[in-house]
Amino acid sequence: VDAREHTRIERDMLGTMSRTSWRYWLGLGLAVSLVVVGGVAWSLALRQGLGVFGLNEPVMWGALITTFVFFIGVSHSGTLVSAILFFARSPLRAAIGRSAEAMTVITILTAGLYPIIHIGRSWLFYFVLAYPNQRQLWPNFRSPLTWDVFAITSYVTVSALFLYMGMLPDLAMLARRVTGWRRPLYRALSLGFSGTDSEWALLERAYPIFAGVVIPLAVSVHSVVSWDFAMSVMPGWHSSIFAPYFVAGAIFSGIAMAILLLAGLRRGYRLERYIRPEHFAMLSKLLLAASLVMTFTYATEFFMAFFRGSEAEADVFRWRPTGAYAWVFWLVIVCNSLAPLACFWGAVRRSLPALVTISVLVSVGMWFERFLFIVTTLAHHYLPQNWGFYRPTVPEVLICLGGFGWFFTLFLLFIKVFPSISVAETMEREHAAAHAGELEPGHA
Amino acid sequence: MPEPRVTIFADPDAAARALQRLQESGVTDARLVSSAPFPAVHLTGRPGPWPVLGKVVLGGAVTGAVCAALLQALTSRSLGLVVGGKPILAWPAFGVIIFELTLLFAGVTNFLAMALLAAAARRRVPTAARAAVGSERIVVVVPGERLEGPEAAAVLRALEEGRP
Repeated sequence: VDAREHTRIERDMLGTMSRTSWRYWLGLGLAVSLVVVGGVAWSLALRQGLGVFGLNEPVMWGALITTFVFFIGVSHSGTLVSAILFFARSPLRAAIGRSAEAMTVITILTAGLYPIIHIGRSWLFYFVLAYPNQRQLWPNFRSPLTWDVFAITSYVTVSALFLYMGMLPDLAMLARRVTGWRRPLYRALSLGFSGTDSEWALLERAYPIFAGVVIPLAVSVHSVVSWDFAMSVMPGWHSSIFAPYFVAGAIFSGIAMAILLLAGLRRGYRLERYIRPEHFAMLSKLLLAASLVMTFTYATEFFMAFFRGSEAEADVFRWRPTGAYAWVFWLVIVCNSLAPLACFWGAVRRSLPALVTISVLVSVGMWFERFLFIVTTLAHHYLPQNWGFYRPTVPEVLICLGGFGWFFTLFLLFIKVFPSISVAETMEREHAAAHAGELEPGHA
Repeated sequence: MPEPRVTIFADPDAAARALQRLQESGVTDARLVSSAPFPAVHLTGRPGPWPVLGKVVLGGAVTGAVCAALLQALTSRSLGLVVGGKPILAWPAFGVIIFELTLLFAGVTNFLAMALLAAAARRRVPTAARAAVGSERIVVVVPGERLEGPEAAAVLRALEEGRP
C-alpha cells in the first residue's frame, strides 16, 4: 500500500463529488419534480384547509402520519447500524457508514415535515415547543406527542453531529484539494482539523462516546414514536410490544433503504471496489433477521389480541385480514414476511438485482404496514356506529410522493457536496487489510 | 532555538519505522500528522489528557438531566393542569424527556469539547507540518531542541532510516 494507492482511493472517493453523469441529473430532476408537485399539493391544503385531505371522523390520522412514521423508521437504522458496526470494529463500516448516517439525518428532516403539514395551520407548529409566552401556556409534558418533539429533535441533532464528527478528516482533506470559493468553505467546515496525532487520539476518544450516546437514543426515539399509539387505549395500539415492534420495523425498513442507496451509489459511481458484494450479503442477512423478527411480532400481536379476551381488540385483528383493508394486510405479509425469505438462498444474497427488488418490496410493505395499523384501528375501534373508511385523496398522495422526492433530492445533493464513503476510514481499512494479507494492494 | 525538523514520508509504514527509531534514540516527543488514522498515529508519545473528555461529557449529561427535570417541573407547576388523572409533577411521564435531553446534552457536549480540545492540541504542531500533510504525505515532526547536542546525529539517522 503506497502513496499512489492512497491517492487513488482519495480520487475515487472524491470522484462522487466531481463526476456528474446524465443519470444523476435525471434522478435529481425526477426528485425535484416530485418536490414541486408535493409543494403545490401542500399549498392547496394551506389555502383551502384540511378539507382537501381524506381525513374525517373516525380516521383523523392517515397517509401523512403514515409517511411520518415510515420515514422515522427508515431513519433509525442508519446511525444505529453505523454505531454498532463501529463498536464491532467491522471493516464493513468504512463502505456503508457514511451513507447510512446521511440517510438517517435526511430521513428525519423529511419525516419532520409531515406532522407540520398534518396540523393544517403549519405556521403555528412552534406551539409544540416549550418557550416563554404571553399566554403562560406550556406543552403537556405528560403527552407522548410532546415526548416525540423532544425525542426527534434530540435524535436529529445528535445524528447530525455524529455524521459531522466522522466527516471532519474528509472535510480537511477536501479543504486541501479544492480550489476557489470552496476551499475556505471546507476549511471552515473542517473546524481546522489537520490530522495531528493528538487530534486523531481525541477523535478516537470522542467517537465511541458519541456512538454510545447514539445507540440508546436511536432505540428510545422509535420507542417514543410507538408510544404515540401505545399510550392510548385504542384496540390494536394499546400493547406493550409496540416499542420493540417499532424498533425492529425501523431497522428492517432502514436496511432496505440502505441497500437501495448503496446499490445506486455503487452503480452510478462505479464504486465496485469499495461497496462490495459481501457488504450487500451482510445487509441481506440483517434484512432477513429483521424480517423474521417482524413476522414474529405480527404473530404475537394476533395471539395476544385473541388471548387477552378483549372483544374490541380481537375484532380489529379479525378485521385486518378480512375487512376493507384486507388487501393491505396481505400485501404487507407478502412484502415483509415472505419476500425476504428469499435471502435464505446464497444466490439471492449475492445477486444485487434480487436484493434491490426485495428492498423495494420491503419499503413498499413497510409503508403499508404503518398505514395498516394506523388506519384500521381508527376505522374499526370500540363503537360500531362510529366505524368508518379512509381513502387518501390526490393531494395527500402527492404530498407523500413529494416527501420521497425531498428525501432523494437531499441525498443526491449530499453526495455532491460531501464524500459518500469515508476516505480516511477506507485508507485505514486498506492499509490494515494489506498488512493482514486479506487483500491484494489495489483492492479496498 | 533551532526550528523543528519536518520530515515527509510517502508511506505510513515508513513513518512508523522512523517513529520507532526515534523512540529507540530517546526521542519520545516527536509528533505525527496524517490524513488517515494509520497505526503510526498511535506511536507518538502521550498525545494529550483526553480522559478529561469523558468527565466533561458526564457533566453535560447531568446538566441535561437537571435542565429537563427543572423545565418540566417548573412549567407544570406554573400551569397547574391535572391531565389524564396524572399529578402535576408526574415524574414517570417526565422520565422520557429527561432521558432524551440527557443524551442530547451529552452528545452536544462531547462534540464541543472535542472541537475545543482539538483546536488547542493542534497548536502544538508547527503550521508548516500541518500544511504539508496529504493523502500521499505523512509528516513526522521532531522538536528543535532534539536537534541540538549529542543525540542530533542519531535523530537524523532515525529519520533517514525510516525512508523506504
